[in-house]
Amino acid sequence: MSDTPAPAALPQIPVTVLTGYLGAGKTTLLNRVLTENHGKKYAVIVNEFGEIGIDNDLVVGADEEVFEMNNGCICCTVRGDLIRIIGGLIKRKDKFDAILVETTGLADPAPVAQTFFTDDDVKKRTRLDSIVTVVDAKHVGLRLEDADEAEEQIAFADVILLNKTDLVSKEELAKIEARIRTINPFAKVHHTVRSNIDLDQILDRGSFDLNRIIGLDPDFLEGGHDHHHHHGHHEKEGANPLHDEEIRSLSVMLDKPVDPAKFSDWISGLLLAEGQNILRSKGILNMAKSDQRYVFQAVHMVSEGSFTGPWPTKDKRKSRLVFIGRKLNEAALRDGFAACAA
Amino acid sequence: MAEKGETAGKRRAKVVTRKYDAYVVAAHVNGRLFGVGFGDGNVRLVDSENIDADPTTVEAHNGAVLSLAPDINPGFFLSGGDDGKVMRVGPPAVSEVIAEEKGRWIDHVTTHADSGTRVYSVGKDATILNKKGVRKLKHPTGVGGLAINPKGKRLAVSHYNGVSLWWLGAEGNATVLEWKGSHLDLAWSPDGDYVISIMQENSLHGWRLSDNEHMRMTGYGAKVRSMAFTRRGHFLATGGADAIICWPFTGGGPMGRAPLEFGYAGGAPVTAVASNPRHDVLAAGFEDGTVLIGQPGPATPALIVMGNPSAQNCAVTAMVWNTDGDRLLAGCEDGTLHVADFRL
Repeated sequence: MSDTPAPAALPQIPVTVLTGYLGAGKTTLLNRVLTENHGKKYAVIVNEFGEIGIDNDLVVGADEEVFEMNNGCICCTVRGDLIRIIGGLIKRKDKFDAILVETTGLADPAPVAQTFFTDDDVKKRTRLDSIVTVVDAKHVGLRLEDADEAEEQIAFADVILLNKTDLVSKEELAKIEARIRTINPFAKVHHTVRSNIDLDQILDRGSFDLNRIIGLDPDFLEGGHDHHHHHGHHEKEGANPLHDEEIRSLSVMLDKPVDPAKFSDWISGLLLAEGQNILRSKGILNMAKSDQRYVFQAVHMVSEGSFTGPWPTKDKRKSRLVFIGRKLNEAALRDGFAACAA
Repeated sequence: MAEKGETAGKRRAKVVTRKYDAYVVAAHVNGRLFGVGFGDGNVRLVDSENIDADPTTVEAHNGAVLSLAPDINPGFFLSGGDDGKVMRVGPPAVSEVIAEEKGRWIDHVTTHADSGTRVYSVGKDATILNKKGVRKLKHPTGVGGLAINPKGKRLAVSHYNGVSLWWLGAEGNATVLEWKGSHLDLAWSPDGDYVISIMQENSLHGWRLSDNEHMRMTGYGAKVRSMAFTRRGHFLATGGADAIICWPFTGGGPMGRAPLEFGYAGGAPVTAVASNPRHDVLAAGFEDGTVLIGQPGPATPALIVMGNPSAQNCAVTAMVWNTDGDRLLAGCEDGTLHVADFRL
């Protein structure tokens, strides 16, 4: 054994992905990140150079080139241009603190997110921090009717800016927020006007950091109250076959401890078979014979999980998994998870 | 503490090590000079005849060097930067703009001295600069790599789902070698019959042009990152494993044959390989900064020539031999630059 300390891990640059339908207010937000005095230097990867009225050599144009990885995973699409751009950015001497990736209004966020879990170099030097979706409160209702992308962008989000709230009534706003919650119960929703928000609320959140997931939603295991209201709502909706293509979320709970091997077999089989329909999943698990909380998260089939620290003594240990997706078979998910009991 | 892989052999070279504050992006040789491109935008020129002399620093780019090649005249280099410039760089500290694409990145450059050809790529376009003038070639997706064949007649351009082969001397459409996936760096075999691409997945794909035979070279545990044919083309040496992987290209190519492995150095993956131009010797650089040399074959021990086991983030990112094959330059992610002289 040597006396030299273990090599320090390379600093991983946090990456925030900014999505949102055309005209929702992404560019306004982007311009704020680039111009406001927040003491941090951002490299910004944009799709439409012209929209950003700022001459900054850390603004890089991207081509949004999606391709399928030949890794046996049929839904594992990644952004080749992002791999190339990030490879170039990390060579620069004048370093930056964080990266912001803007996607076009019509983009599916999955390939962007999957890039950060798939490529060795990207994984080594960067970490996906959060997916932030800007939603136009006035027009989102229509968008959700006619564009899958609008729904997907909400489904993938960790943070949602419900923007242009000054253009709708209180009642309309409540209705829209309820609709958003049906699709995505994880995301932190902020009401904004002209994308005006404290940037700390959207940057460096650690939404994919297994060690921070619990802190972001301390009530996760208490699913069913507060903003998780909607569950009752779509149980009714589940009876309507016309809504099968709609994205919704559902959660499954287990009071008994979970057998790690059974869970691993079940979840990997489930994501392999249903990974195209399951957009995101997250869970906190009470594994049998462990004092540590197990945290799990996945984007389509790309999943990760680890023990993240001891259970607080006052808490009742239990397990909960939340899925966001299409054609979710509630009974099968419930039975499958129940069968993972130790 | 024992140096990693010390059992493999003793140092038998004079090594000069320098440390810069920027990522070593690429290294090439032209005449007696080594040219090294850095993430601080500089190209540093190292005199292979006098490795103790301080390298000449040429400020080539306002940003990072992204690509480098030996230029078409001896002693000069062609560099591409994220400032959108293609620069010609040479001693004592000359830098001259060859082309400029405002607001874009020059992702790749390559050259062929005998035919006086320079090629660079920006996004989906590759541009040929030669005696016939300027010609822009369009591709369906972003260019992953460029390589001109040894005779200087054809240009291979990699992109998604294949490689386009263009004739440098004639107009006309490309011949597309198709294979699904994202293709990155390219190499031609010395006889010009094989085109090989490093893929985004941990694998290589090759095409034999004489009969359009495909070659899949898989089984890697890491990204391949680097490849080089041995001087007569008997082997294709690659990174991507904890030893040098050598695919046999004698007797019909590597199809259905297992590669030769040699040069294990403690478990870190190989991140750069360089083929000696005069001898059947390969150099390999590892993710932990180790550099070793050896002959392809199971019996010969590899010789550790450089390394810094206490350094961090010191993956070898670029490596090149001088034209006489008795000096070796290796550069690392953390800015370390070694030059070894084997004339002892």
